[in-house]
Amino acid sequence: MKISRNWLQTFFDAPLPDAAILGDALTFHVFEIDGIENIGGDDVLDVKITANRGHDCLCHFGIAKELSAILNIPLKKYPHTMPIDELQKRKTTAVSVLIEDPVLCPRYIAGYIKDVKVGPSPDWLKKSLEAIGQRSINNVVDATNYVMFNIGQPLHAFDAGKLTAQAGNYAINIRRAREGEKIIALDEKEYVLSNSMLAIVDVNGAHSQGGEAIGIAGVKGGMPAGITEATTDIIIESANFNGASVRKTAQALKLRTDASTRFEQVISPELAGYGMRAVVELIQKLAGGELVGFVDEYPVPQEGRTVAVSLSRINAVLGTKFGATNVTDVFQHLGLPFSQEGEVFTVTPPFERLDLIIPEDLIEEVGRIIGYDKIPDIELPAPSRPPAVNPNFYAAEKIREELMSQGYSEIFTSVFRDTGERSVQNKIDSDKPYLRNNLQPALAEAWMSNSLWKDLLGIKTVKIFEIGPIWKDGQEVIVVGTAEGERISNMKGSETLKTSEEPLKVNVPVDSYDNLPLSSATRYQSFSKYPYIVRDIAMWTPSGTKADDVLTLIKQNAGALLARCEKFDEFTKGDKTSYAFRLIFQSFERTLTDIEVNAIMEKMTVILKEKGFEIR
Amino acid sequence: MHYTKKTLVLKATTTEYTGDMPRGHIHPISSLIREANRIFHEVGFAFADGPLLEDEWHNFDALNVPKDHPARDMQDTFFIKDEPGMVLRTHTSNVQIRYMESQMKKGIEPPYRIIVPGKVFRNEATDMTHEAEFFQMEGLVVGTDVTLAHLKGTLARFFKELFKGASVEIRFRPSFFPFTEPSVEVDMRLVGENVPEKLRDKWIEMMGAGMIHPNVLKNAGVDPTKYQGFAFGMGLDRLALLRWGIDDVRLMHSADLRFINQF
Repeated sequence: MKISRNWLQTFFDAPLPDAAILGDALTFHVFEIDGIENIGGDDVLDVKITANRGHDCLCHFGIAKELSAILNIPLKKYPHTMPIDELQKRKTTAVSVLIEDPVLCPRYIAGYIKDVKVGPSPDWLKKSLEAIGQRSINNVVDATNYVMFNIGQPLHAFDAGKLTAQAGNYAINIRRAREGEKIIALDEKEYVLSNSMLAIVDVNGAHSQGGEAIGIAGVKGGMPAGITEATTDIIIESANFNGASVRKTAQALKLRTDASTRFEQVISPELAGYGMRAVVELIQKLAGGELVGFVDEYPVPQEGRTVAVSLSRINAVLGTKFGATNVTDVFQHLGLPFSQEGEVFTVTPPFERLDLIIPEDLIEEVGRIIGYDKIPDIELPAPSRPPAVNPNFYAAEKIREELMSQGYSEIFTSVFRDTGERSVQNKIDSDKPYLRNNLQPALAEAWMSNSLWKDLLGIKTVKIFEIGPIWKDGQEVIVVGTAEGERISNMKGSETLKTSEEPLKVNVPVDSYDNLPLSSATRYQSFSKYPYIVRDIAMWTPSGTKADDVLTLIKQNAGALLARCEKFDEFTKGDKTSYAFRLIFQSFERTLTDIEVNAIMEKMTVILKEKGFEIR
Repeated sequence: MHYTKKTLVLKATTTEYTGDMPRGHIHPISSLIREANRIFHEVGFAFADGPLLEDEWHNFDALNVPKDHPARDMQDTFFIKDEPGMVLRTHTSNVQIRYMESQMKKGIEPPYRIIVPGKVFRNEATDMTHEAEFFQMEGLVVGTDVTLAHLKGTLARFFKELFKGASVEIRFRPSFFPFTEPSVEVDMRLVGENVPEKLRDKWIEMMGAGMIHPNVLKNAGVDPTKYQGFAFGMGLDRLALLRWGIDDVRLMHSADLRFINQF
């Protein structure tokens, strides 16, 4: 989530340190930072909120609370302590709310304001929203967005004038959508809802049976009741919706919004009260209007809970030697109310900290706020018994070694094929959804393709193997497969492919692993993806001429395109020795042509002739 | 047959163009697993393995991943057609559960120390840094007095052995995984002359880890009031990329000897 440094500053009296310091504080004590950007003189941090903190940290207040604890800078305001008894004191009967299923909608508050003046937002508000990548729309809509990004409660404003009143009263129903029910959302697109989705309905609205959908609960508001310049009366929604249900709806409609993202993470229904209180205050400040009153449907209020942990347990899990004051400091700085009895701390988490459930959750708070750099590194004690040898791994290592000593090289191929017995139902690239029931087709393909660059590799024949799982006869089996070429007699240099496959033989376990060699490679060299050209050159040389000297001469004169050169034949007749070399030319940038390679070879021939060699 | 280092010397350079059949090449992932097993075996870790085609209980539920967790969505996990509840494992953590279950069934209580190298799957488009099938190595240590400090010490030792000649620093950052609490991201930094320039003095994100969530122990039949421990899961492909300066993760499954023969 985008977090503005200027916005954060509104929570503190003391000036905040530089964005880089804020970034480090968050990185090492709570969240990763994806980047810091300067937007119109403000530093904006892109903070990756983890799934366990979506409850309380998808807002500036959440991040401010964390920074307050990490940097030990006191907060000047704490929005969740503002009085909300107004919600009860100023009840109205002008709007009624009916929640059909409290599991899907644990709380719904409607706030009714008359005679607002919709217009542009003041500069500070525009700037705040634009810094975090939001577009300013008008003062009413901006106020709902500001409060959401400030304290995390998604809010929505309906144009009351577009709803249908009955005897001067409005009725809102939160019910499952009818199968196929349609709504045009604020993005001007039509969405077709299903029975698994929750709709906000104007009960007296156009479709007399069941009312008209004016919103997709927790996801997006509807066009029919959207705020415009002409709007005067508004009904504000501050509600709580079931996370899983909102997630499924947003996913099915391919409509993820700032609201749905927050509900998906599950937020406390208690927050809705503070959200309503804050947004009404802001709207009245920006757009005037007269508050008619509130309706608050909250059938099952959130229960409080306590979590206890002892100092010794904290140290036993973290491997630290923290004292009681270390722990009390953390809880105090985080704003976690607690009591202490002996070495046991009992924390009463604030309503928004839905993540604090078990003692380990508190241990994490202590560890991360003090800092994981304070965790020492301690090696495990010597094992009490020698570890068992894994018979499957032992057998695989043994056969791997045997095959390598016979010249086979090891490959891995994909488990996905275009045929097989079992398949996956949802592969992104839908070709090859089957799980292989046989290694040999992939080995054969690998043998064929590798045979194309035998010369480049400097090998006479391709010998490869794979050890891996196949799915056959309802079983997952580890098999060993090989592929190699077999010479065809009477046809010089021609090979036919021979493959084999058998289950990995696992024998009686042994006591210890063999000490097998590791790859001695140090750095990998990327290879050219372009085709190469082969040229052979043979020559008679005077006796005493060393092959290595000729090789050096060739390498010195062949230029940068020579990828490989090897002697492949040698024989002596009388006082002359014949050498034959194979030259491989290849470029990293392009496909070479015969013409340019021929030119190199002609030049080479001249040079070798000058040395007194007789080109054959 | 018993092999020793003396009799088998690997040639990482090119093979000679001679009549003798030269020794074949090991896949870099196999070499890495061989080496990791050697390092961990010495400090008491057993090599554990388990199925790739797995049930949702071992892949998700037992690991404290709730039913409606985004990771369980269709787009991230390969589900097996016509076999409800079966998936291609999304991590090697399924073997944590299977190992502990089987030990408890045999009446063998902790201490446990295992590593689990193996193939895992994510349903995503492939590019130079992402593959739908890749290799992971899980680590699991359970005992009465295993701490987060032991996790740091264990990983520091592993990387010191793996990047010989370099001095290794380990750093934890807070993170979140359903199967560990507390959860951390582990960064590593290599310092020293012998470290390739691309890696030298840079913090590199290596893996996720943490103290095993009590629910995970409980789900595997281990008493969380008696035992605790740590777990980690690192990407082996990524480790190989760093180790050898490999520029494209897709080479791992390319079966291309222009790649393999360099190892």
